[in-house]
Amino acid sequence: MKHVMYASAAALALSAGMAQADGHLKFAPGEGAFNWDSFEALKSMDLSGEKISILGPWLGPDKELIESVVHYFEDATGADVEYSGSDSFEQQIVIDTEAGSPPNIAIFPQPGLAADLASKGLLTPLPAETADWVRDNYAAGQSWVDLGTYTGADGAEALYGFFYKVDVKSLVWYVPENFEDAGYEVPQSMEELKALTDQIVADGEVPWCIGLGSGGATGWPATDWVEDMMLRINTPEDYDAWTKNDLRFDDPKVIAAIEEFGAFARNDAYVSGGAGAVATTDFRDSPQGLFASPPQCYMHRQASFIPTFFPEGTQVGVDADFFYFPAYAEKDLGKPVLGAGTVWGVTSDSKGTQAFMEFLKSPIAHEIWMAQKGFLTPHKGVNTEVYTDPTVAKMNDILLNADTFRFDGSDLMPGAIGAGAFWTGMVDYAGGKDASEVAAAIQSTWDSIK
Amino acid sequence: MDQLLFAVSTIIVGVFGCVAYFYFSNILLDRIYPASGPNAGANINKANAIRPWLFVLPALLVLGLYLVYPVFSTFLLSMRDSRGDFVGADNYIWLAGDDKFRESLGNNLLWLVIVPAASTFFGLVAAGLTDRIKWGSVAQSLIFMPMAISFVGASVIWKFIYDYRGENQGEQIGLLNAIVEAMGGTAQTWITVPFWNNIFLMIILIWIQTGFAMVILSAALKGISEETIEAAYLDGATPLQIFFKIKIPQIWGTIAVVWTTITVTVLKVFDIVFAMTNGQWGTQVLANLMYDWMFRGSPDFGRGSAIVMVIMLLVTPVMIWNISNAHKENR
Repeated sequence: MKHVMYASAAALALSAGMAQADGHLKFAPGEGAFNWDSFEALKSMDLSGEKISILGPWLGPDKELIESVVHYFEDATGADVEYSGSDSFEQQIVIDTEAGSPPNIAIFPQPGLAADLASKGLLTPLPAETADWVRDNYAAGQSWVDLGTYTGADGAEALYGFFYKVDVKSLVWYVPENFEDAGYEVPQSMEELKALTDQIVADGEVPWCIGLGSGGATGWPATDWVEDMMLRINTPEDYDAWTKNDLRFDDPKVIAAIEEFGAFARNDAYVSGGAGAVATTDFRDSPQGLFASPPQCYMHRQASFIPTFFPEGTQVGVDADFFYFPAYAEKDLGKPVLGAGTVWGVTSDSKGTQAFMEFLKSPIAHEIWMAQKGFLTPHKGVNTEVYTDPTVAKMNDILLNADTFRFDGSDLMPGAIGAGAFWTGMVDYAGGKDASEVAAAIQSTWDSIK
Repeated sequence: MDQLLFAVSTIIVGVFGCVAYFYFSNILLDRIYPASGPNAGANINKANAIRPWLFVLPALLVLGLYLVYPVFSTFLLSMRDSRGDFVGADNYIWLAGDDKFRESLGNNLLWLVIVPAASTFFGLVAAGLTDRIKWGSVAQSLIFMPMAISFVGASVIWKFIYDYRGENQGEQIGLLNAIVEAMGGTAQTWITVPFWNNIFLMIILIWIQTGFAMVILSAALKGISEETIEAAYLDGATPLQIFFKIKIPQIWGTIAVVWTTITVTVLKVFDIVFAMTNGQWGTQVLANLMYDWMFRGSPDFGRGSAIVMVIMLLVTPVMIWNISNAHKENR
């Protein structure tokens, strides 16, 4: 009940703010718990006439959200920022940079790809003091610096990537009402989760919705499953070794993790539509099953961004909620959390571009998106009171309280693996191929690119 | 506005530049070998030998730049690794041992055998049937219509035909599954069924290319002289005999051209596979594999180029045969 009150109060505040907002700004400057100082500070820069182009992976609702942030920068500095999204970002950015017509800034969902462009001299290093800033102002700052530091074309290591918008992946989404109606409890351990899964099947229902479809990137949701499973049955050290291929892909430890995923996805009784539908169902469509009536499934394991694809008007915390994808109680591995984030890199330097990268450090750049939906940040300087729903704040807590935090493994692997062989392998596995066979095929591709 | 200005000035400079080149180079040639004076005869002969080359030169240069240079450049790229270092034949050695490459080669072969044959066959049947009926032209335009749709557009249409909904995910919206269920069968995830999914993708290209084959073949059929057909009628030949023994042999050359043209299209097939399966579930083809290595994740231009060279090697003979055949037709 308390949640409902919070949420409606927040909604009220939100709509009131919007009504008064001047022009296209979502929240009127000077109102609310935002750090307006950092907005005012921007005005000292005059960038009128500067054009800044940004290419990123966000389309649809996410595109509107990033644009709502960008508007503040434009409003304060007079610069003209053009964001364009592409759902084949990975290919597009390679073509654009190689062809010599890159955008000013690229938003990489995968550090591996950014590292690759950096090694070819297609990225411009960030100013030297940025690394210190990240270390000081981001929670677990060093890990974000490490994730954004690559070897350049000159062989020297430098910070090329700045993380903005982070995702927590180890989440299971559910509809509290459905759980209440059926009398299910949120599981606290993997053993309980598996018991609950069987319980749901025994009740004649379907426990999971899983969809691996994602156009040209089909298969990636399965890699997240496997990574989460890696962290739950193996040590973080094994995980790190795995992403560097020091632990081979066809190692029994990895195969076991793939099979842990298969235990859920390859069981016809466990997944909505049967195992055959897993690989072809689009990941954007698959959470819809939670909200169907009667529910097509009860649980959906997906990252923190997924509410963007919930039905219109769904209130996270009320209509839908999440719990931490639990770890095995019997294994002594703590509570590992898998996450990811988008890393911003400069592909074509200019005065305006530098100013925009500087803008990303300001609390206001984070808070505008936080106050809307689906935005987590390790930035310690932001006011978390701007979160309109307490569940997202709860998510941020998961991020900050993890015993082990590891970055999405496939994004750390070389592109040919993490955005290629791993995806294909998972699609093949979901289609019924043997885990060891799939792992061996991925390993052989990895061997071939060494 | 800038672009418009740039485009207009490019056109003006281009057109006038060309005219100026032909005009002045011609004058220059006449100055060097004047058609008068003591060696007039020898000069005219020399000038005439040079003049055609002078006029063809710009075209040759442009063709060289756009067609020949990329081939060499691709070949050189194919001997480099992803960092740009020279590695010799390594990429080709890798190709020979790569499972995905073998799968792609196999699938391409399958496409090569099935699609041109089926498209030409259906095109021929459609041309033969629509040739002499009143509403034939209506039928023809309907069959030809898919030609106007882009490959990706066609793929989107067919994605809905092959669509699959899981057991408790509501009614089948895919046409094929709806038909299968209406006839008492069980719905399938068509694009994941091993081997057959290749055929399902091919059907899309056949659907597109049949119209092309039909239009060309129908024109050829119309060109057959009436006398031979009338003579056959008088000799008591059945319509089928006329079609197979009189008409087909006469348009054999056209059939070959249609066949090879579609073959070349098939060797380059990319869009359909990319839009439907992206090469997953064992449907990979060469062009899509090339795209994967060239642009996806960490791009490897070396390996991508090596695959391109293979595609080019496969296309070239068909192309040569196609062109020489078309020449024969025109003679």
